[in-house]
Amino acid sequence: MTADRAEVWQGTLALMILKTLETLGPLHGYGIARRIEQTSGDRLNVNYGTIYPALLKLEQEGYVDAEWGVSDNNRRAKFYRLTRAGRKQVEKETREWERTTAIVARFLAPGEGA
Amino acid sequence: MRPLRAWLRRLGGSLFASRREREMADEFAAHLQLHIDDNVRAGMAPAEARRQALLKFGAVEAIKEQYRDRAAFAALTRLRQDVRFALRLLRKAPAFSATAIVTIALAVGVNAAIFTVLNAAALQSLPVPGGDRLVTVTFSSEGGPRRPVAGMRSMLSFKELQLLRDQTPAFEGVTGFSPFNGATLGGAEPRAIQATLASCEYFDVLRVSAALGRTFRSTDCERGGVPSVVISDGLWRSAFSADPAIVNRTIDINRSPFVVIGVAAPGFTGTQLLHEEAFVPVVFQKQLSRDLTLLDNDDISWLYVIGRLRDDASVASARANLDLVAARLTATAPAGRVVRLGAARTTLAGLPEIRSMLLAVGAAIVAAVTLVLLIACANIANLLLARAAARTKEIAVRLALGAGRGRLVQQLLTESLMLAAIGGTAGWLIGAWVSAALVRFALAHLPPGVSPIVFEPHADATVAAYAFALTTATGIAFGLAPALQATRGARLEFRESTTTDRPGARRLQSALVTVQVAVSLILLLSAGLLARGLYRANTIDPGIAVDGVSIVAYDLRGAGYSRDAAIAFQRQAQERLRALPGVRTVAEAGGVPLSDQHAETRFSLPGTERSLYIEFSQVGPEYFDAVGIPVVRGRVFTAADVASEQAIIVTESTARRLWPGRDPLAQSLVLDQVNRPVVGVVADVQVSRLGQTDSPYVFLPAGPDSQDGMRMLVAAAPGAVTARALRDAVAALDPQLAVSVARLSDNLELWRAPSRLLSAMAACLALLALVLACTGVFGTVAYAVSRRVREIGIRMALGAEQRDVLGLMVRQGLRPVVVGIAIGIAGTAAVSRVFVNMLFGLSPHDPLSFVLVPAALLLMALVACYIPARRALRVEPSSTLRTE
Repeated sequence: MTADRAEVWQGTLALMILKTLETLGPLHGYGIARRIEQTSGDRLNVNYGTIYPALLKLEQEGYVDAEWGVSDNNRRAKFYRLTRAGRKQVEKETREWERTTAIVARFLAPGEGA
Repeated sequence: MRPLRAWLRRLGGSLFASRREREMADEFAAHLQLHIDDNVRAGMAPAEARRQALLKFGAVEAIKEQYRDRAAFAALTRLRQDVRFALRLLRKAPAFSATAIVTIALAVGVNAAIFTVLNAAALQSLPVPGGDRLVTVTFSSEGGPRRPVAGMRSMLSFKELQLLRDQTPAFEGVTGFSPFNGATLGGAEPRAIQATLASCEYFDVLRVSAALGRTFRSTDCERGGVPSVVISDGLWRSAFSADPAIVNRTIDINRSPFVVIGVAAPGFTGTQLLHEEAFVPVVFQKQLSRDLTLLDNDDISWLYVIGRLRDDASVASARANLDLVAARLTATAPAGRVVRLGAARTTLAGLPEIRSMLLAVGAAIVAAVTLVLLIACANIANLLLARAAARTKEIAVRLALGAGRGRLVQQLLTESLMLAAIGGTAGWLIGAWVSAALVRFALAHLPPGVSPIVFEPHADATVAAYAFALTTATGIAFGLAPALQATRGARLEFRESTTTDRPGARRLQSALVTVQVAVSLILLLSAGLLARGLYRANTIDPGIAVDGVSIVAYDLRGAGYSRDAAIAFQRQAQERLRALPGVRTVAEAGGVPLSDQHAETRFSLPGTERSLYIEFSQVGPEYFDAVGIPVVRGRVFTAADVASEQAIIVTESTARRLWPGRDPLAQSLVLDQVNRPVVGVVADVQVSRLGQTDSPYVFLPAGPDSQDGMRMLVAAAPGAVTARALRDAVAALDPQLAVSVARLSDNLELWRAPSRLLSAMAACLALLALVLACTGVFGTVAYAVSRRVREIGIRMALGAEQRDVLGLMVRQGLRPVVVGIAIGIAGTAAVSRVFVNMLFGLSPHDPLSFVLVPAALLLMALVACYIPARRALRVEPSSTLRTE
């Protein structure tokens, strides 16, 4: 992954994590990574480890809370949960993302607006 | 908000690194375990399941590094490493570390101590509730007629106070008061006390309550009412044995009855350095001092004014109010005068007169201790330079391995800051102790007759901040240059020989030695001059007979004597004193020799308008005989002169200055529009200042109008009369009068005490400076020689004589010393004028001090150069050549 694409990945990854937590409720890092991969239809092929720095950043910003708990198959794991600020952030970022993609899409559409 | 929160948590992450590290490892392990479980469930063999999980996770160490970077600040982590590394290094070189730390501790300690004292006097607010909201209002004027002063020039009149009180909305309360009215508390044993005349708002503005009874009410402050007084807790205990029924008792101050309405809260001793013991409403000014009319005099400086700011007001808004009041005062002031009112936070030294004096003295002392700090910095910088040279290899290796120069400088600076921090902390503790000891020492050595002073400086946040800033500055001052020097060209050094001298480092070291020598010479010379001055003060002949002369003093004015009663009293007192066995003569004097009672007044030469301000004293005819002042020409005062008050006696140098080449006995001086002929010329004597005979001085007869202000000088054979006998002789005339008896020789102490104090302090500082400078010179030369062992070896191998090489080393070592001495002499010559008052006639460029002290320093430096140079020569030349 080049530096530019890494930045985009970091930005979108945060939104994907938040959205995942909004949809599925509290979940551990492995679960989140797994879910993101599945949702993307296995088209997004990245290392699971990269999710942790992103989770830490979200935790520092107060969008998620982390707590140690026990998984379905009785393994100890750190569970992440969306905070109230996190919920607002999902909405905000979703809106922004939609606006951005709409603008970019217009630029890319051939002949449009010319 | 979010970035701040994230930043704080990262900061937290920096502090709890080990916990975070554990959590991260746990979380990653848990992640892998979950993944392995899934893979096994999907049918993989355990080993393969693990391999796949690890592959999918990515490069674990790289992710950990990313995670760590995110978790904490890289810079903080590096700082932790640097600090740990620095501590390890400091532990490894205990001698160096101890030397550096002790040096810094002493230098910072002395500095912090002085600052603590200055801070307490000039920066801290008064120790009353909400003292930081108090503002001192000061008066100043330009042009117009001279304004009379009964106190200090920056004080206000009663009318000005009233105007100000009504027109300064920034203040919730304003009070004016006149501290230090010497008064006599009547009773079985009359005693002298300090009384304060205060406006009604005094206690409210200062927020001081009464421990017993009450403070002033508006009814206490009506003119013509019953005079009342609030006394201090100290006076209540010492003079009234803490009588619980003191309230409503009538006491006697300066022969007037005052009703005690309350006792002020314990610990309150007024707003000044001296204890104030009784507080009287300002409207009863006449009762306290009958001869002065201050209350109704609208143009006289006599009230110290303090305002309390409203909660929503600032000093700036108070100043805006005061500007308007000042404009109004200017409009009603005598023609040509422009009035200004100033405002500044109230401190112990609140008035500009006191503050500027204190700051001048303080600045001189701070300059001296800062010089010591400078020497200390130069010393440690030198030590660091030498050490950096020894670490050249380490630094070269680190640079070669890719460490940035900035990173290395940061590491080296961390080391010096660590040293500074340890030394500074120790210094701060030393400072707290030294400042207390210093004040105790100074107060214990006050000359006799000076009222007890309340002053207990304590360190506060300002002092802590000062010490911290000083420590940091110190660390950077001694650390930066060596750090830059050590990392410059170190790469080169790695390849070349590591024992040759580097010219850059040597130049820097030479410069440091020059600075050290120059600075310590300034301190040494100043101390030398002061010590010579002290010796002079102790051995000087004041030109008057002080032995066997006693001063009998009492305050007739305060005791309410009328003009005629005073004349009668003084005549009887003289008769009674003269009748005592052993008494040779008794003389009246307004200003006692070598006291602070000499006034200056405006004279003029007949027929001219030019004002001459000359110091004077009113004396009786016997004065010159009593204190042994020889009459050179003419005669002393006669009874007729005393009665008419129209004669004058001048000193020789006064006559020379006023009437050069003419007969002084044919001259006269004009005072108060009256022509007063010169009847006598007396020898030059040191009556107003010790060590100074040539300042103009005139004597006026102690006439009938000034009898209430006269003191008695009693000359007797040494030991012939006791103080008790003198006191009783006068007290028998009026048992209600507080009579004090002192020896005239005690007045010499008044002059010696400050110079003793100062020269003791200067000597301590100079000694510290000398030790530091000598170790500096020694260290530098020793280091330079050790770096040039190879060169010495070659020179010797080529046939140089030991003597030549020794001479070369010493010459090179001494060069910066000589330059430093030259600078030091020039520097001292420029500043020594400052303490000319402490030298008692000694020239501030006293040749003896200016030759002896630098010579002594040069000798020390020579020894400091010789010892290490000598040591280097003992090394076998061939062995030094073979080591490379």
